Amino acid sequence: MQTEATPAQADVSELDLVRRCQAGDTEAFDELVSRYRIRVFSMIYNMVHNEQDTWDLAQDSFVKAWKSIKRFRGRSSFYTWIYRIVMNVTIDWLRKKQVKGGGVEFDDLTQLREVDPASKTVPKKEALPYETMERDEIRARIDKAIAQLSPEQRAVILMKEIEDMQYHEIAETLGCSIGTVMSRLFYARKKLQNLLRDVYENI
Amino acid sequence: MKTFEEKWTAWLDGQLTGRELSEFEASLPDKAAAEAGKADARKLGELLKRELSARTLTNEEFFSHQLRERIARLRSPRRRPAWQARKRGSTWWTIPRLLWTGAMSLAVFLVFTVLVMHEKNPAEESPYLTQILNARVDPVTSPNATVSIFEVKKDRVTVLWTEGLQSLPADYAAK
Repeated sequence: MQTEATPAQADVSELDLVRRCQAGDTEAFDELVSRYRIRVFSMIYNMVHNEQDTWDLAQDSFVKAWKSIKRFRGRSSFYTWIYRIVMNVTIDWLRKKQVKGGGVEFDDLTQLREVDPASKTVPKKEALPYETMERDEIRARIDKAIAQLSPEQRAVILMKEIEDMQYHEIAETLGCSIGTVMSRLFYARKKLQNLLRDVYENI
Repeated sequence: MKTFEEKWTAWLDGQLTGRELSEFEASLPDKAAAEAGKADARKLGELLKRELSARTLTNEEFFSHQLRERIARLRSPRRRPAWQARKRGSTWWTIPRLLWTGAMSLAVFLVFTVLVMHEKNPAEESPYLTQILNARVDPVTSPNATVSIFEVKKDRVTVLWTEGLQSLPADYAAK
């Protein structure tokens, strides 16, 4: 798994930062937040599909991480540990929202910024209006399809397909067995294949 | 023992190897359909990765700033209103004051209660009423008339006892 760390940041090991955090050093925690905030935000957004809710959930997750950092023993990577918190916070929120409203709404599709991996070296090519519209439409279809999965299935497929996490890492993050992860992945893929076949077949 | 779903997922992700792989592939009723399913799953994975990994935070620095503020609030003791802060030093004086106020209130209450009870004593009230009634009885029409009043505590009644009256005065009204 990749982080946002620059070479200079990478010099300071994650474990050192965690130890400093455990001693109450907020600057060290700030450094850890800088490394993971984009990934955490992106992961939550792909689960809840609303920028404001994503912002709040990401903030809550990091605050929770700060409060419980002293309990981090280093048995897993910090990334897995923070993801576990993020997933607990997000899945709890989704469950409460489903109970209250009977479903998840879709909005904020147009306010997202794209990160082009080559943007620093290649002049940015402006997308044509019809391309932007088409892409928005595809994203809306994907969001709608993902919203039909259970919170746990969403978490599993996103961690596997977007984050490239291994089965055991996903299991550790969600606090379940590897078999459960594989089973959830099976059903999530089947459902998404049915809902999005025309999308990926026509691109 | 893995379930079919687990084996299928492991097969799609290239996690099945050796004997497990050959056994699983041999168990598939339609190898061509399974391969098509595998290709489908890959396309789905590519679509998700391409479309979803581009989403990101729009204001990273503000995000961190807000988080720093929240953590700073967690670390510092809760701010008190100015009036509370001023009174914080006099807390030790407040408790004795409260005790004194309570004791004084109790004493006043007791004194007041004793005085009121003392005034309502029927032993003093009865002769007073008798005296009034005696004054109202006309000695000309009822020369031997006597009036007395007493209280029967057992029955909780007050008895007005009159003797030798020819008639009650017209304007008599004992209240």
